[in-house]
Amino acid sequence: MSNYMETIGTEVHVELKTNTKIFSSSKNGYGMMANSLTNVVDLGYPGTLPTLNKEVLNTAIRACHVLHCNIRKKMHFDRKNYFYPDNSKNYQITQATTPIGYDGYVEIEADGKKKKIEIEEIHIEEDTCKSAHRGSVTLLDFNRAGVPLIEIVTKPCIENSTEAKLYLEKLKELLFYADISDCKMEEGSMRCDANVSLRKKIEDPLGVKCEIKNIGSISNVKLAIEKEIERQSKILDDGETLVEQTRRFDDKLKDTVLMRVKETKNDYRYFPEPDIPYVVLTDAEIEKALESLPMLPEERRQRYLERNVSEVNISKIIANRPLSDFLNEFLDTSIDFSTATNLLLGDISFYLNKNEVTIKDTKLTNSKFIDLVNKLSNRTLTSKNIKDILDTILESEKEIDEIMKEKGISNITDTSVLESVVKKVIEDNPESVSDYKSGKDRAVKYLMGQIMKETKGSANPKMVNEILMQELNDNENSR
Amino acid sequence: MSKYLDLELLEIHNLLKNGKITPTDLVLEAFERVEEKKELNCFVTLDKEGALQRAKELEKEEIKGITYGIPIAIKDNIITKNLRTTASSKMLENFIPIYDADVVRKVKEAQMIVIGKTNMDEFAMGSSTQTSYFGPTKNPWNQNLVPGGSSGGSATVVSSRIVPLALGTDTGGSIRQPSSFCGIVGLKPTYGRVSRYGVIAFASSLDQVGPMTRTVYENAVVLNSICGKSDLDLTSVETKEDFTRLIGKDIHGMKLAIPKFYISDAIDSEIRENLQKVVSFLEKQGCTISYVDIDYIEQAVTLYQIIAMGEASSNLARYDGIRYGYRYENPKDMNDLYVKSRRFGFGDEVKRRIMVGSYLLSGENATTYYNKALEIRNEMKNSFQNVFREYDLIIGPTATTKAYSLGKDLDDAVKSFMDDILTIPVNMAGLPGMNLPIGFSNDHLPIGMQIIGNHFEEAKIYQLASFIEKELHLNLNPNEGDTNV
Amino acid sequence: MIDKLSEEEVLHTAELARIEISKEELSSYQIKLKKLLDDVDKIKEIKLPNSDDVNENEKLIAPWSRDCVLRSDQEGGMLDPKEVLLNVPKKSGNYIEVPVVINE
Repeated sequence: MSNYMETIGTEVHVELKTNTKIFSSSKNGYGMMANSLTNVVDLGYPGTLPTLNKEVLNTAIRACHVLHCNIRKKMHFDRKNYFYPDNSKNYQITQATTPIGYDGYVEIEADGKKKKIEIEEIHIEEDTCKSAHRGSVTLLDFNRAGVPLIEIVTKPCIENSTEAKLYLEKLKELLFYADISDCKMEEGSMRCDANVSLRKKIEDPLGVKCEIKNIGSISNVKLAIEKEIERQSKILDDGETLVEQTRRFDDKLKDTVLMRVKETKNDYRYFPEPDIPYVVLTDAEIEKALESLPMLPEERRQRYLERNVSEVNISKIIANRPLSDFLNEFLDTSIDFSTATNLLLGDISFYLNKNEVTIKDTKLTNSKFIDLVNKLSNRTLTSKNIKDILDTILESEKEIDEIMKEKGISNITDTSVLESVVKKVIEDNPESVSDYKSGKDRAVKYLMGQIMKETKGSANPKMVNEILMQELNDNENSR
Repeated sequence: MSKYLDLELLEIHNLLKNGKITPTDLVLEAFERVEEKKELNCFVTLDKEGALQRAKELEKEEIKGITYGIPIAIKDNIITKNLRTTASSKMLENFIPIYDADVVRKVKEAQMIVIGKTNMDEFAMGSSTQTSYFGPTKNPWNQNLVPGGSSGGSATVVSSRIVPLALGTDTGGSIRQPSSFCGIVGLKPTYGRVSRYGVIAFASSLDQVGPMTRTVYENAVVLNSICGKSDLDLTSVETKEDFTRLIGKDIHGMKLAIPKFYISDAIDSEIRENLQKVVSFLEKQGCTISYVDIDYIEQAVTLYQIIAMGEASSNLARYDGIRYGYRYENPKDMNDLYVKSRRFGFGDEVKRRIMVGSYLLSGENATTYYNKALEIRNEMKNSFQNVFREYDLIIGPTATTKAYSLGKDLDDAVKSFMDDILTIPVNMAGLPGMNLPIGFSNDHLPIGMQIIGNHFEEAKIYQLASFIEKELHLNLNPNEGDTNV
Repeated sequence: MIDKLSEEEVLHTAELARIEISKEELSSYQIKLKKLLDDVDKIKEIKLPNSDDVNENEKLIAPWSRDCVLRSDQEGGMLDPKEVLLNVPKKSGNYIEVPVVINE
């Protein structure tokens, strides 16, 4: 346990999921041939000017909404001037003074207690190009130049690395579910910087802060913060003074390493971007942007809970967006959600993973899914049956009844029919009944086999078992 | 030698329409004139082959309008596809664009023929066309004098009758001042009237492309072709009107204002005298003339230093030797590549302005000076608009002097902007402004007046200008000696 | 009144502008920039009638007050990598090459 209070703030950059770039009509894409997704605007050619993608604003409005931020109705862009080879104009167009969103929060739950992590602002800006270092040269690929970003800045209100981790996980889930971003940290569509400082007690002013840049995963953010606290504590314990610096997390060392000491404040010479007039948002436009907002995790959780899905399954299905989206298509139907969720997370997931397809790639129509879930609920189909016919259900256009017929599956689910068969078998096998009574469990298995034989395998084993046990016990009690 | 290019646009058009001449004849004549006037150094790049090819194509096309087949020259800070565009800088000495500026596309759509790119002050930074990497352009009225600038090449090609039409750009007076020095009609349109897409940016909130022509009517015709909103320039505005529609209409009852700042003693007395003659004439025609105050107009040059240099320092940051343009060979490291490419790629005046802009935006200066300048600019603009609530147009001189000698000392931060003291306020307020030739000095150098309109009221400027032009009936062809003095 | 800027101030500006300057240029900029600063300093004294009300949303960033027209999110034409490289002074494969950039 450290002797210091930790203060942590984060800056998260998220690439927005739009078709085109923020200031040009080039495709917003990933993993293509170098310099194949650019035009003269992205390359900062002389005389070129920015245009502004409407969908970027819509997406940012959605982000403001899900992060409970106020939305600014009138805003402009600013130029942040700095030379760097990944920056084609040697200035970045950003929102330094009029961020689209401000004063929001994300609610997390740590140790059973709810806490709001406060968001200072959300602003819109453009991404830089990608550089790869090869010995004595750096190679530039401008495909990423001009991809729309939002930067989400928290207040310095995070108290420990666990809170930071929980915040980022929640943030990622929200942004992903609101269709704002893919949030793939490994592809760089979500990038995180953390600011860490220490002080002795709450009355003290904030300590000297260090910034850890571009950490590659959420678990590494936690680790980086812990390592940074360790490093700073040691320096303070030794009675030395901290200097403000920028560090990065080294994946191999599992530790932060120095990038540069901040000697002077960066001099970005901000001024309002004259090529983009004021952007004015009306209430109607904001409302329209929010119309396309998908159901968020919190509401999904609530709805599934109401339909008696187990907590474990709720967490699992929300972690699998395509399945959760699929499941949501049945919210207005009366199917049993517990059965449906088990089916989706069990056999269907197994099939999808094995075949590397998504549920939308299969032949599973909504009506077929409803039929399937109902047949499982009313025991027309057994889970064993499912294993036999699921491939056919997912791969052919045929109705389930047709498939069952082909495979010769016709389960007797009529209790009265089953009861009479069970009674007949008990009567025919008195020695097995007495074996059961003397404690030989094997006798049950034998009786089950006889019943299945009698019904030519079309009885629901679970139901048969239930009836058999009841009959045997009644038989005993009646003595 | 043929003299078709000395004819008025309408006359040329009639000859073309009646098949008496072809676009090829006009292109060939223009290039004869280019050769004849070589010593003026008005072009950076010529495109005889492209122009002749275009002329041949046009001969198969239907005639769409009065600009059909007319040769035009384009200032070299306007991007032309496959035709070298240098902004008169070593930085872009070998730059071959892969796209056309919106205005170039429009000029081509209007069937004009681009014959070449005109010389200018490097990156439009200067008022004399002396800061060009390709050497100064000379004034066609007297080759020892400057043509003004920064659109000095465009002013010279029109004045010397090489071609009838040219495009220039104007950030603080760069169309109007050289038009005044060379005796042509030059208009800076309302900010937003013409797309800036493909115009090499100097100061984004001030730059505007405009026509430079021999007559008022021809000027309005070119503006008809190049104006309009572009999807590629968010600051451009859709407008549909015929700018020639008020030409020839009576000006009786027009209310004109002269800012008191525009009649100061700092202005050459011959210019003041010539302007006074026009004022007397206008009064006789039933115009009323009043003297007005414009708030903060005396601060315009200071505001310009802050805003234009600030924007320029940012706009010119992209010239770094990486994606295009001059790159210093064998740099030590990345920073060396930057600082040496920019040291050797830019000329002194450009570097000075980038330094000034960077300095005025750095640290606390941005809030102390830049934001304050934006506020004062807003007040000045409002003051102009208050005047236009009562008056139709503002008039005054264009420049404080007539054309001066080549080689005049440039190395004075403030003084070099004094050339533009009367034109800068118009850019700061985003208004349209024109230079109209109104006479000659005793040593037979052209003198011009400035006509300033409210936002999007270019047609009214053309109305007044054409009236004065007709009355004065000056001979503005420098090739014809003193015949009309 | 000091009649010139310090060398550090000028060198800092040159660094921001990424322009290498010679010794002579350094001393001339010390004087020129100071003269300029004195000149623009005048505007600090100007009291504007409404200056208390001016906020970020009322700055004049261009000389008119039209709102931004947004572009629809539809893909337009892009360049072939060959065109991208046409004007590039130094290239490597499909990439644009610069001296190695360390740190970051």
